[in-house]
Amino acid sequence: MKVSLFATCLTNAFYPEVDLTMAKILKYLGHTVDVPEGQACCGQIAFNSGYISDAREVARTLIDSFEHSEIVVGPSGSCIGMIHHYYPFLFENDPVYLAKAHDLIGKSYEFTQFLVDILKQPDLGAKYSAKATYHPSCHATRFLEIVEPPLKLLEHVKGLELLPLPEAQLCCGFGGTFSVKIPKISEAMVAEKAEHVLASGADLLLGLDMGCLMNISGYLEKINKPVKTMHIIQLLGEGMQG
Amino acid sequence: MTTPSDFISQLATKLGRSTPSQTPDPVPIHVPEYRLSGPEERATVFLHNWQALGGKGAIVKSTDETVQCLKEWFGELPLDRPAQQAIVAWDLLPTIAESAFTTLNWPLVRYPQSALDTRERYAIAAQAELGVTGADWGIALSGTVVMNSNPQRGRAVSLLPPRHLTFIETSKLQDNLFEVLEAISATGSPPAAIELITGPSRTSDIEMDLSIGVHGPVEVCVLLIEDELKD
Amino acid sequence: MTMYKEIVEKRVDKALADDFLRKATRRATDRLRLGKFKAAQDLGDWEDWRLAGEAIRTQVVANLDFYLKQLIEQVEKNGGHVHLAKTPVEAVDIVRKLVHEHDAKNVIKSKSMVSEEIHLNSALESEGVSVIETDLGEYIIQVAGEPPSHIIVPAMHKTRQQVADLFEPIAGHTLSSDTPTLTKFVRQEMREKFLHGDIGITGCNFAVANTGSIVMVTNEGNGRMVSTLPRVQITLMGMERIVPSFRELDVLLNLLGRSATGQRLSSYTTILTPPKHSSDSDGPEEFHLVILDHNRSEILGDTTFRRALNCIRCGACFNVCPVYRQIGGHAYGSVYAGPIGSVITPLLEKDWDKWGHLPYFSTLCGACTEGCPVRIPLHDLLVKLRARKTLSGHTPQIEKRIFQGYRYMFTHEKRLRQALRMGAHLQRPFVKHERIVGGPPPLSNWTKSRTLPMVASKSFMQMWSELKLSEKSSNSDPIQ
Ligand code: SF4
Repeated sequence: MKVSLFATCLTNAFYPEVDLTMAKILKYLGHTVDVPEGQACCGQIAFNSGYISDAREVARTLIDSFEHSEIVVGPSGSCIGMIHHYYPFLFENDPVYLAKAHDLIGKSYEFTQFLVDILKQPDLGAKYSAKATYHPSCHATRFLEIVEPPLKLLEHVKGLELLPLPEAQLCCGFGGTFSVKIPKISEAMVAEKAEHVLASGADLLLGLDMGCLMNISGYLEKINKPVKTMHIIQLLGEGMQG
Repeated sequence: MTTPSDFISQLATKLGRSTPSQTPDPVPIHVPEYRLSGPEERATVFLHNWQALGGKGAIVKSTDETVQCLKEWFGELPLDRPAQQAIVAWDLLPTIAESAFTTLNWPLVRYPQSALDTRERYAIAAQAELGVTGADWGIALSGTVVMNSNPQRGRAVSLLPPRHLTFIETSKLQDNLFEVLEAISATGSPPAAIELITGPSRTSDIEMDLSIGVHGPVEVCVLLIEDELKD
Repeated sequence: MTMYKEIVEKRVDKALADDFLRKATRRATDRLRLGKFKAAQDLGDWEDWRLAGEAIRTQVVANLDFYLKQLIEQVEKNGGHVHLAKTPVEAVDIVRKLVHEHDAKNVIKSKSMVSEEIHLNSALESEGVSVIETDLGEYIIQVAGEPPSHIIVPAMHKTRQQVADLFEPIAGHTLSSDTPTLTKFVRQEMREKFLHGDIGITGCNFAVANTGSIVMVTNEGNGRMVSTLPRVQITLMGMERIVPSFRELDVLLNLLGRSATGQRLSSYTTILTPPKHSSDSDGPEEFHLVILDHNRSEILGDTTFRRALNCIRCGACFNVCPVYRQIGGHAYGSVYAGPIGSVITPLLEKDWDKWGHLPYFSTLCGACTEGCPVRIPLHDLLVKLRARKTLSGHTPQIEKRIFQGYRYMFTHEKRLRQALRMGAHLQRPFVKHERIVGGPPPLSNWTKSRTLPMVASKSFMQMWSELKLSEKSSNSDPIQ
């Protein structure tokens, strides 16, 4: 398959290795990978802050960059969720881009969903010894209803012991600009999430959205309880080399 | 102050049309409704749910059984002294109930006739130990008794005394709320009050700690009278 | 603007510093949420019920004029009186007039969120009328002089000791703080009030249009007292609180009891069609229904937000909201807190300066939407309210500039690439052990409680372009 990568703004700037590993895994599975020029962000940060027209322009840029792609895959439930859940609303008065938005929705997937539901390849032969726990991020779970795919991928990682995360359904408190706009509530939320991560007994925290992971790990580090944090993509990448 | 027609026409404007003259089509409702296999299961499930909420309950077939049960539940109470006006009841209770109270020699104060003045009637009900009523329907799924108001009854009887005893024939039990609401609709215009009672008065308002009997009855009891069973 | 911002911040700080409040909120919401989960399971396919609930509410709201007209006609046919109030002030005036006409000294009330919305108690009390809240939770907060902190358990933020302390002056002796003692005290205290109330004021969970009936759902029995014992009953309702007939009532009662308290049915579901029939031995002789608009008609006319009127006030969204969980209800500052409060308060009150903070009390995690028994897309409405506020020009200049900058950068990836390169340099003073630990605001809001990863020395887009170049020159795939 010819797969176009959507490098989200967060991974592009802070975690390029996540995007790169995603490219490597897809190539390893025999797919052609490209990264269309011009893409930068799904627009969520402006959209969620109420700046619709700014968000719309950024979204337009993203749509344009993937116009000729067959399949689009991104390492984030939140960004793919933004496209699926809010682009139709964003372009409700723009028939041309509304159609393009629907085209993008029809061909875009979050990484774990793409691997498990589309490629039907939950087993990448990865090995990784750790006691891990998994944070199901809100947008993946609730906007895209991605529940099983990440767990299937993790199930197949040899040596990985997956421990339940108490109150897993609770948001970590990131919420994009929420975390800087109402920092104290955000901190209280991430503090509780961190409590649960520590209570799980895991020494590795996994997720499929770097936003949440950046938030939780940033807090854990501040309180000097550094639990290792990885995107599932990173875990698979390392596990496949081993 | 706004007149009804102004008020309504403002809403129609907001809705961007004129007010429909015909009743709008009701929405289709497709929900899985709770169904029981028959009268026996209905009675069992009703009792189970009623008891799970803290209510006392039993099935009786005869006056004797009813007497036994009443003795067991209320025998300790000073119910046989007429001056105490300890039991208030509707004017008419199911036959088994009437004969059981007669056998026990526990006098019943008939609430509707107990006093001429409404507030006096309330006072009588409020100082009684036990209120006794019948019921029009029961709901098995939720463990609920349902009673209509009418002149021979009295809403305070199931409300003011600390204990409430309901007699209900098993033939009046329904599976679910929908059936009861349908039956109510079928009777035409509803009475002034329909009370659906599901367990004792309860509250969790203080530190989420469940507490029984804050305003309504502390103890609720049901005697299911086995009669011709509905199937 | 700034003034309100400070007030909001103070409220939030106060809530976050209140350990008992936070524990109590967790306890209450966990308990209610789990109860709902269990109760939803025994109903068969919960999703089918939600869909039915949504369909019913949507159809009612879309035909609200018809059903209200029908309701008014039916209530009048039954011998009741209907009063329509466009504003809270009008609603208060209607009740005040009725109280005076009947020369009522003792008014007893069961729970009504509309009465909170119109601030009825203070208005009546200022005229020397004694108004007693009879729901235990409402009574506690009335004595404390506070607004409800949860729509279902309004006094969940009070400790039992605080409750005992509040009740002692009324009792005139010391009270131990165990629940049975406190409940018993209230039972005795209230009995006299019930028996001597001149007017009963109730809320309304549903009004049945084709019969003119009022449906009240309570657990304590106070609602029954208030609607049975006084000679006059006044019921307050928001104008959207309607069901067409008993047929739809089944679905909504099933959803409400389960979602609110995890009960199949609440202890008392009372279907009233007042006034009492002439020969009935009890029940109110006179019945007044006060129907409140208070900008609900504006919401009705606004197709973006119309669905907010579908709410059945069950509180389920409170119990799943991770923000509410941390701060409880008072930090919102509004009568209606939680996710639905954050949606409807700005719409009802139409005051961005005062209530503009509410749509931001959410991470947009979607838990509220998932939990809502009538499928109101609460988080979507919140984000759309933010857009409304921005459009109306009520957001700070600096924020506007930030997003202009964002747009400038993120519509041209090359500009972004350059900016990131710059960022990788500029971050240096703030880096410690490979993490960003400080910075100018608003970044500092983050770094106060968290570290941030460093901006990568090469962004992925840059990295990829370079890889592609080397691929071309070496004729092999470097990332294989
Ligand atoms: S918005 Fe939904 S969940 Fe929240 S109170 Fe209303 S009906 Fe319940």
